[in-house]
Amino acid sequence: MPGLWQAHLTFALFAFVVLPGFGLGRLAQGLVLLLLLAVSFVSVDGLSLAAYMRSFTEDVAITTLVALAFFAALRMGLLDAPSHSARVQLLIVMAALALFLYPATMGLSHLDPYQLGYDPRPLIVTVGVLAFGLLLLKNWQGVSMLGLATLAFSLGLKPSPNYWDYLLDPFIALFSCAALIGYAVRVVARKATKASQQLNQPTSL
Amino acid sequence: MAVWFAGSREGAADVQIRGARYDALAAEWGEELVLATRESTQQATRKHIRKLGNPVIALAPDNRLWLFYVSVSIGGWAGSAINTMYSDDFGESWSTPRQLITTPFLNISTLVRNAPVFHRDGTIGLPVYHEFLGKFAEYLYISPTGDVVGKSRISMGTDSLQPTVVPMDEQNAIAMLRYAGVTHHRVLASRTEDAGRTWSKPFPIDPANPNSALAAVATPNHGLLVALNDLEDGRFRLRLMETNSSLELWKPVIDLDESPDPEGNPFSPQAYREIIGDKFRLSSGPRRLSLVDEFLTNLDQRVCKTHGCDFEYEYPYFIRSADGLYHLVYSWNNTFIKHVSFNDAWLMEQL
Repeated sequence: MPGLWQAHLTFALFAFVVLPGFGLGRLAQGLVLLLLLAVSFVSVDGLSLAAYMRSFTEDVAITTLVALAFFAALRMGLLDAPSHSARVQLLIVMAALALFLYPATMGLSHLDPYQLGYDPRPLIVTVGVLAFGLLLLKNWQGVSMLGLATLAFSLGLKPSPNYWDYLLDPFIALFSCAALIGYAVRVVARKATKASQQLNQPTSL
Repeated sequence: MAVWFAGSREGAADVQIRGARYDALAAEWGEELVLATRESTQQATRKHIRKLGNPVIALAPDNRLWLFYVSVSIGGWAGSAINTMYSDDFGESWSTPRQLITTPFLNISTLVRNAPVFHRDGTIGLPVYHEFLGKFAEYLYISPTGDVVGKSRISMGTDSLQPTVVPMDEQNAIAMLRYAGVTHHRVLASRTEDAGRTWSKPFPIDPANPNSALAAVATPNHGLLVALNDLEDGRFRLRLMETNSSLELWKPVIDLDESPDPEGNPFSPQAYREIIGDKFRLSSGPRRLSLVDEFLTNLDQRVCKTHGCDFEYEYPYFIRSADGLYHLVYSWNNTFIKHVSFNDAWLMEQL
C-alpha cells in the first residue's frame, strides 16, 4: 500500500464517483467506499486492480485526487455543491494551465514548459498567485486543489520530481477544457435563443 | 557488454532484454544473458507491461553500469516509457528496474536508442525521442541516483527521432538525428553550446538517411565517426563515415556490411542462402561457426518475404572505450548482433 497508496485511493474514489449512489445513506455510502478500497487490492496475475488502473493512468495529479475526493464528499452529503461561478473560475484556471502545458510539451514548440516543473520556483509563485485569487473569491475547492498539490510536491509524495505532475494530468486537463467548452456553448445557445425570442416578439409602433 | 532485445518478433510478449559480455583477450563474446523480461519489469514497476523494446547500456566513469530500456503498458511504441537499472559489479548483479517519469501525458511516448553522455557533475545526459502525435528528440538529465532532474528539447515537430549525441568538449555537443519526414531524406544535426540546456534548430547535413538509426562518436582529432545507412532508401549497406566538427567535410571510411547488389535488390532464397552463409562464416568467429547450419535452416520471414530475401544492416550502437578502442555493434539481417572494433591506427590507415 505505501508505494501504491495513491493508486488505491484513486481507484476507490473513481469507482465510488462513477458508480450510481442507489439512494444509500451516508453511512452506507462510507461502507461502499471502504469496500471499493478493499476491491482495489484484489490481485489478478500478481498485480492489484489498482496497479492495473495505474498502468494506464499513471499516478494521477494531486489536483485530480482532491477533485475526486471532493466529488465523493458531495455524493455523501458532507459538502455543499459549489456555486456556478466558483465552478467556472476553477475550470478556467485548470484549463489555462492545461493549455499552457500540453500543446507545447507534446512537441508543438521548441520550448517545453514541462521543464519549468523541475526547477519550479517561478511556477510555484504563479500557482500561489492563482490560489490567492481563488481564496479572495472564496473558492475553497480551487484553493484546496492547488494548495494540496503544492504541499504534496514539497513533501515529495509522488515518485515524480516535477511539479507539473502534481498539478495536472490529462484527465483533469481534458475534463476542464471540455466542461469549459460545454459551458461556453450553453451560454452562446442561451443568448441566441434569447435574441431570437426578442426578434419574434411583436413590436408596437 | 552489449545489449539488445530478442524474441519471436518485434513487439511480441516474449521479447526479452538480452546481453552478452565481451572477452577482450579472447576476442570472443560470452553466452547470451537475459537481463530483463516483461514479467520482471512488471513485478518491479508494479505496472502491467505489454512488451519490451530498445535497450541501451553504458559504463559510467564511476564504473556503474547503466541499462535503460523501453517498455509499453498500452498501445504501440507511442505508449513507451523508459526503465532503468544499474550494476555496480560490471553486470554480475543488477538493481531492481525503475521507471523514469519523463512526460506529463500519462508518462508515455519516450523511447531510448543511443548512448548516454556522462557529465562531469555526475549527472547523465540521455538522448531520447517521442513517437506520440509527433516525432521529436529530447535530452534528459538524470541524477546519479537515476531520477530525471531536467530535460531539454533537441527538435520539435513530426520528423526527427533517435538522436545520437557526441560531446565535443564540456559545453559543446552535436546531436545527429534520424529523419522521418518527406522533404530532406538526409541526416539532421543540432548543436548545443551550453552543455545540452538549449539546442539549435535541426538542419539537414550531407549524408542521406532512409529513415534509419545512426550512431556517432568523437575522434581524438576533434572529428566524428558516424555509422549509418547512407542511402536514400533501404538499409542494405552500413557505412562508416568521418566528418569534421563543422559537419561540412564527409569522407567514407569503410562499408561495414553491404548487399552484393549495389541497388539492394532482393535475392532468391537459394542465392540468398549461399551468400548469407558465406557472410556468416566470415564474421561468426570460431565459437559460433557451428551455428551456421541451424541459422541457414531457420531463415524465415525476418529476411525473406514474397518479393525475395533482403540484406539489412541497421541500428548501430557506437562507443569509444576508455582504452581508446572503437566498438560498434549493429543488427545483422535481423538475426544476429555483429560487433566490429578498431583502433586509431587502423582508422588513420583508412583515411
